[in-house]
Amino acid sequence: MSDSAAHAHEAPTSTGIDHKKLIMWLFLASDCMFFGTLISTHLLYRKLYPTGFTDAEGHQRFVQRLFDIELTSFSTFILLMSSFLMALAVSAMHKGGQLKSFRRNVLGVIIFGLIFLGCQVYEFTHFYHQGLTIQNSVFGSTFYVLTGTHGTHVAIGVLWLVLLYFYSFTGRLGGHMGALDVEVAGLYWHFVDIVWIIIFTAVYLVEYLGPDGIWGNGLPPVPGLTP
Amino acid sequence: MSPAHAYEAADPALLTEEVRRYHHFITLALWLAVVTGIEIVLIFLPLSAGVLLTTLAVLSAGKFFAVILWFMHLIYDKSLLFWLFMSGLVLAFATFAAMIALFDVGRIDTKWFG
Repeated sequence: MSDSAAHAHEAPTSTGIDHKKLIMWLFLASDCMFFGTLISTHLLYRKLYPTGFTDAEGHQRFVQRLFDIELTSFSTFILLMSSFLMALAVSAMHKGGQLKSFRRNVLGVIIFGLIFLGCQVYEFTHFYHQGLTIQNSVFGSTFYVLTGTHGTHVAIGVLWLVLLYFYSFTGRLGGHMGALDVEVAGLYWHFVDIVWIIIFTAVYLVEYLGPDGIWGNGLPPVPGLTP
Repeated sequence: MSPAHAYEAADPALLTEEVRRYHHFITLALWLAVVTGIEIVLIFLPLSAGVLLTTLAVLSAGKFFAVILWFMHLIYDKSLLFWLFMSGLVLAFATFAAMIALFDVGRIDTKWFG
C-alpha cells in the first residue's frame, strides 16, 4: 500500500513521515482505545441490564422503542457525506492549494457537522423527556457518556475546521505545510466518522434485532413491562 | 524542488494522482451511502439475530476500513501509519473481547441486577 506518487516526496524525517501526521495517527490510535473501552462498557452493561430503563413514573421502558432509526440514519448519512467533503477539501490542498475549492468543501463539512450536532441535541432532549437521564439507569449513563463523548469530538472538529476556514483568508495556509495542516484536521474528522460507523451499528442497529432486540432474548418477562 | 513543496501543482505526477484519488472518493462516498442503506433495510428483514448481527458487523467493518484506507489515505501512505493505527485498534478490540468474556451473564449471579 505504499507505491504512490506521494512517496517520491518523503518528509525529511527518520521515518519519512511528517511529524504532525505521525503524532496525529498516534493520537488516533490512542483515541481508538478510548472509544473501544466506552463502546465495550456500553455493550457489557447492555448485556447485564437487558430490560432497558425505568422512567420518572416508574414504568419499565424498552430501549428500542425509544430510538428513532430515521433520525439516526439521517445523522449517519450526514456524517458520511461530511467525510467525503473533507476528503475533497484535503485533495484540493494537495492539488497545489486550491483555496476556493478548499473553502467550499470545508464549509460543507462545517455545516454537516453542525447538522449532526443539532440532531444529537434533539435526540438527547427527546430521550430526556421520555424519562432517560444519565442518572436513572445504567443504560442512560453509558449511552450519554459514549454518544456525548463522540459529540464532543465532533464539536471540537467543527471548531478546528472553522478556525482553518478563517485562517485560509490570511494567506498563510499554502504550500506543503498548509496542505499538511488540512490533512491532519481531515484525519481527525474522518476518525470521528469511523467511530460513528461503529456506534451506529453497536449501539443503535443491534437494538432492532429480534422481536425485542438481541439483549432481551432468553430472558424471563419482567412484571409491569410497558412496551 | 525541496520536500517542503511536495504538493505544489507544478508536479504533474502528483496532480494526476490527486485527480485519480478524487474519482475514488466519489465512488467510495456512493458505496458508503448504499451500504448504510442496506444496513437499515436489513434490520427490518425477518432473519435470525445471529445472521443479522454477523452481517451488520461485516458491513460496518467494511465501511470502517474503506474510510481509513481511502479517505484517510492509509492505502497511499507509508505502511508504518497503518500498523500504528492497527495496534490501537487491536488493543481496543482485545479489551472489548476480554470484557465481554469476563462478564458473561451465565457466570454472574444476576440476582443483583434489576
